[in-house]
Amino acid sequence: MSVLHVLFTVGDASYVVPAADVVQMESYEGVTPVPGVAPYVAGVVQIRGQVMPVVDLRVRFGLPAVSRGLGTRIVVVNRSQRAVGLLVDSAREVVRIEPSSFEPPPPVVVEQARGFVDAIASVNKRLVMRLDFDQVVGRDVDDREVSHGQQG
Amino acid sequence: MTDGIDVREFLGGYLAESEELLGSANTNLLALDQALRKGDNHPRAVRELFRALHTIKGISAMIGAEPVVDIAHEMESVLKVADQTGARLPIPAIDVLLRGLRAIEERVAQLSRDEPLEVPRSLLAELASLRVGPSATSGAAELDVPADLAPRLSPGEREQLAQGVRDGSRLLRVDFVPSAENVAAGTTITTVRQRLTALGELVKVVPLSRPAASGQATILFSLLLLTARSDAEVAAEAQLDASRITVLGASVPLPATQPAPSEDLVQGPDPTRSSHVRVDIRRLDEALERLSALVVVQARLQALAAEGGRELQQAVAEGSRRLRDLRNAVMRARMVPASDLIERAPLLVRGLAATTGKKVEVQTEATSVELDKAVADRLFPVLVHLLRNAVDHAIEPPEERRRAGKPESGTIRVACAASSDAFLELVISDDGRGIDRARVAARAGVEVPQTDDKLLELLVRPGFSTLDVATSLSGRGFGMDIVLRGVTELGGELELETELGRGTTFTLRVPLSITIVDVLTFRCADRMFVVPVRSVERLVEAESLPTMAPPGPSSGAVRLSADGDRALPLYDLAALIGVPRVAPARPQVIIVKRGDERFGFEVDRMVGRKEVVMRPVIDPLVQAPGVAGTADLGDGKPTLVLDLLGLVRGGVQARAARSEVVS
Repeated sequence: MSVLHVLFTVGDASYVVPAADVVQMESYEGVTPVPGVAPYVAGVVQIRGQVMPVVDLRVRFGLPAVSRGLGTRIVVVNRSQRAVGLLVDSAREVVRIEPSSFEPPPPVVVEQARGFVDAIASVNKRLVMRLDFDQVVGRDVDDREVSHGQQG
Repeated sequence: MTDGIDVREFLGGYLAESEELLGSANTNLLALDQALRKGDNHPRAVRELFRALHTIKGISAMIGAEPVVDIAHEMESVLKVADQTGARLPIPAIDVLLRGLRAIEERVAQLSRDEPLEVPRSLLAELASLRVGPSATSGAAELDVPADLAPRLSPGEREQLAQGVRDGSRLLRVDFVPSAENVAAGTTITTVRQRLTALGELVKVVPLSRPAASGQATILFSLLLLTARSDAEVAAEAQLDASRITVLGASVPLPATQPAPSEDLVQGPDPTRSSHVRVDIRRLDEALERLSALVVVQARLQALAAEGGRELQQAVAEGSRRLRDLRNAVMRARMVPASDLIERAPLLVRGLAATTGKKVEVQTEATSVELDKAVADRLFPVLVHLLRNAVDHAIEPPEERRRAGKPESGTIRVACAASSDAFLELVISDDGRGIDRARVAARAGVEVPQTDDKLLELLVRPGFSTLDVATSLSGRGFGMDIVLRGVTELGGELELETELGRGTTFTLRVPLSITIVDVLTFRCADRMFVVPVRSVERLVEAESLPTMAPPGPSSGAVRLSADGDRALPLYDLAALIGVPRVAPARPQVIIVKRGDERFGFEVDRMVGRKEVVMRPVIDPLVQAPGVAGTADLGDGKPTLVLDLLGLVRGGVQARAARSEVVS
């Protein structure tokens, strides 16, 4: 049984998250920045009346900032009663992936990706990385202190 | 208005009380209407309606609102005759009574706006002509009522008892003699009344005086209860001896009696109200506000206790738990049943349908879910708007429905239920003509929307209307933007499902409780922020304050100023929240007080004052000192609600943390 996944890009890499976890995809119309939070938290948005944080995946993955364009999307993920928007460079496709085709990422990727990627798969001869949502939105004490330092 | 008494002083209480009484009157009038349409009578609804009107008359007389007194008096007279004779009111009378309630509502609203009240002469005449005589169809109630009680019951009450028995209830007489032992055991007439009320329909409490064995007269209360429970159950639950309970029944006609004095109606039991206290919602808001302050103190205490011993930490943790329980208890005190909200729908629709010539039936369905009064108050206008649209635009005129093979009478269904622990789902559906996508698209000048979501996006565009000629009822047409704003400001969402020719369903999901905050809006570094009014002591022009920069590295963010003869630390808010400052033309300073200390915060420009729904920041990713929550100012975007003192503390902590790292 293949499973639907939402495919999006950050930098030159492609990522997937299970479509069942994705509430919707919104075009980017700005966020309300919140002072004193981790630098990868772009701010909050209100989508269908619900206020949620937006994680800028470029910053989260340590990529250089780029100007946000027409392709920029907020992928709203709802998982374990938490709704978080993921700011990505583009999100256009929904793909079917056999669960058995996911493989653990090579050790060097695990190390470099700080646990953000939990599996990789090949879709139509293209390599995609499955995002570990809980790692990506997990509270990270180090990042918070860095952020306070910048604020002070 | 009465001379010498400042009526305005009582007006707040009057408005709150009359609103509640009008709500009760509406509910009972509706129940009566439904019973009459089925060919039944509903004596209890008549009595409750009478009571509500009688009280409205009384309180209106106290503040000198004569026109309200007149209307209530005429309506009361109609009901009194019906109650005493046990007669059924003719159905057209319900419409006149309904207009009477509307007329009272209008005048109460006028009072709140301090406008003069009109006397509705034709309505009063119409009401006067309604007083019905004894009805031949009412029939003698076949009920065995003991001779000591019979003279104390009005015909309406007897009809109510007989109706109850006909409907399958058992009629019990429960005798209660107050005594010193009873009181010691915590049993009084009030507790007995409350316990019996929980077991069925308590129709009447009759105090009787009777000679005791010692020759001294004692008082005895006879309570008449319609119930489905057994004698033993009633005795056990009411904590009374089973020998005190007598079953009344059989088919002995009532002895002929003179009608009971009308005052009996007023003094009769109203056990549902006896266990309630009417509280101005602002008092609860105040309690919550004070609690919030305590929560902040508790958080500080917890931080301090982290360095203390284990026992101290446990005690503080216990304190936090208790505080949370207390907060929940106060929140619960603000809750009202959701059914109160939707049970007003049928009467509203009746009023609306009457002016259009359409036939509409309303079905309501409510679970026992409760929601915050503030949410209910904000949701009500949205409900009215949607019902109005349904009656005005969705339901077709009878002949059009007939041609479409539908029943002549349209149906609007209003249902609500808890969709989760924190959300209420309100569904308003009709079996009308549905929304014509092509027509909406043509009017908006866009492609035909393929999904209901896209269609809703078009409908909620400000001022969008599907009607070329606005009707008197809906004014400027659809007004869905107002509905959407009402829902999103509550932090809720709106969904649409529509099928051409079949009907439309709107689903609203709103939080069960919200926090309303009075805030000041201002701009700083090109962004909008709000701050709760209660935290602000005053506002001053920055130019009017003398300032100097203290030595040290953070001199950009804090300067020293003076407030009178006291030092005032003056923060540059833009620097505090870490954004580049855009030099404003005339900066202003928000002065905040904590204890004896005062702090100033320089901002670009104050914008205004507003009441907003504050949403707490729940996700840990965006929890930060100084951010109390977010609010939607009407643009659909979250605006930060700042806790300025928290921002200072957060900044200080962050600096302390950094200097530790450095050293």
